[in-house]
Amino acid sequence: MRKTLSIVASRLVQLLIMVSVLSFVTFVLMKVTPGDPIRDLLNVDDVVATKADEEKLKKEYEFDQPILVQYGKWILNVMHFDLGESIISKRPVIEMIVSRLPATIALTTGGMVVLFLLSISFGTLGAVYEGRWPDFISRWVAMLGASIPSFWLGLLLIYFFSLKLNLLPVMGKGTLAHFVLPSITLGVAMAPMYIRLLRERLISTLQSPYIEAARARGLTKERILFLHALRGSLIPLITMFGLSIGSLIGGVTVIEILFSWPGMGELIVSSVKQRDYPVIQGYILIVGFLVVITNLIVDLLYLVVNPQIKQGKETV
Amino acid sequence: MVKSSLISIQDLRITSQSAEKVLISNVNLEIGKGEIVGLIGESGSGKSLTARAVMRLLPPDMKVSGKIFYKGTDVLAVNPKEHRHLLGSGIGMIFQDYRGSFTPFIKIGNQMIETIRTHYKMTKNEAKSIALTVLEEMGLESKRVYDSYSFQLSGGQVQRAAIAMSLALKPDLIICDEMTTALDVMSGERVLDYIDQIRNKTGCSVLMITHDLALAYKRTDRMYVMNQGEIVEEGLPEQIRCHHKHPYTKKLCSCLLALPAKKSIQKKRAYSV
Repeated sequence: MRKTLSIVASRLVQLLIMVSVLSFVTFVLMKVTPGDPIRDLLNVDDVVATKADEEKLKKEYEFDQPILVQYGKWILNVMHFDLGESIISKRPVIEMIVSRLPATIALTTGGMVVLFLLSISFGTLGAVYEGRWPDFISRWVAMLGASIPSFWLGLLLIYFFSLKLNLLPVMGKGTLAHFVLPSITLGVAMAPMYIRLLRERLISTLQSPYIEAARARGLTKERILFLHALRGSLIPLITMFGLSIGSLIGGVTVIEILFSWPGMGELIVSSVKQRDYPVIQGYILIVGFLVVITNLIVDLLYLVVNPQIKQGKETV
Repeated sequence: MVKSSLISIQDLRITSQSAEKVLISNVNLEIGKGEIVGLIGESGSGKSLTARAVMRLLPPDMKVSGKIFYKGTDVLAVNPKEHRHLLGSGIGMIFQDYRGSFTPFIKIGNQMIETIRTHYKMTKNEAKSIALTVLEEMGLESKRVYDSYSFQLSGGQVQRAAIAMSLALKPDLIICDEMTTALDVMSGERVLDYIDQIRNKTGCSVLMITHDLALAYKRTDRMYVMNQGEIVEEGLPEQIRCHHKHPYTKKLCSCLLALPAKKSIQKKRAYSV
């Protein structure tokens, strides 16, 4: 219990530090990069805006103040759960993000399910039939998955399953059928590493003394494989999952664009194009928050999978 | 020779297919009901391979030939399912590496229930009461051990829990593969005392694999000496000790540790000062 609390406490401190550094750096970087939302706002339909109009708008959004002051005001508002308003749509940022967050989380979960199914099945197949034909199939699946760019795979899936066979919807969100193609695309893109890692780890676990002891006790093959060996091989996979959450969120963005999935990825891409600073800033804050929270869950999962950590005999 | 044979190994031969090497050959060994039989020899002589052949735990690249009759059934010829039933409920095995006796992330109690219920049809509670009883019989704090992971116990406790686990299945033969090697002397002795007790109480047979000649003299009824994959001598402990015939047994006996005389120690100490 003490170990669990200390993990939670350290992650919360980490969360505070990370979110402040991350938000400050992105705040400054956004201001110094070329492009200006004010000009984007004024230069509509070839109407030339005057310098005075520009100054007036800058003042309205407080862009004329020093960066530190702007950041200070923003962070104070964040503490009151106010992420500001979008420059373009004038809607509160928190509302825009919250309305799209469930779609992204749903898609990510779908991708995770596919990832889980693919890596467990092909990873186990490769390890149990090491050097035989199922192992080669597992290797080919992993190689194929690693060499196909996810957006191209998405296009192929749309072409065959939606256009040619007319089995699944092309884009959008709504029914369970809408989940299938984006989830497969996301899962397949991430699976190869996990398949290979699980295979290697499972092969070495299957040769460990405790598996030999379980065989000597006359337990069934399936029991030994799924309840003893597989669980013993999960730690590196959990570690890799914790490390790859960042790239997963990046991957989700591509998939959301491809399938016109109304999630956060689509929102952030249009916001970056229009230099909608408050939305970008809010998005980064929320994503940073999600990454730290997921890592906390990953750390707690370690405790479930390997109780030795709870005893302090091994470190997270 | 052996009145009522429980297990009989005949012309066992194991070859490594990858290295094209004969690992053990012409191994003939018999264990009677209720007998404690020692299989001794140095590391790499093929003792553990013999035990693993009985348990069918050899790596796939090793080829086994010969016959191993357990209660009249050739364990090498039965199908995997039948063999699995034989393991645990007929033949139990205790390993040298006590850390590997149990899966480290599953509580010992749960593993005992799992094993008991694999071999006997019964409810969880019935299995639990059997598990607690056998743990108690092994002189362990049954409830604590039942709720512990293996890494929370000492080596001696884990080995006793492992014996309790095989006892729960009422085996006729327990194979102990260097079971005390990784333990300190006191814990090792205690574990061996329990093996003696079990044999006297249940009448099961024990195959004790060890490189420790002194242990074998003290604890076994009969001994086999193994060298370079072959059994070179067989007999009662006194015979092996005093009337051995094979040069290897002679060499082995001469290596038996004897305490140095008091005088020689004092002399050495005087020099070093």
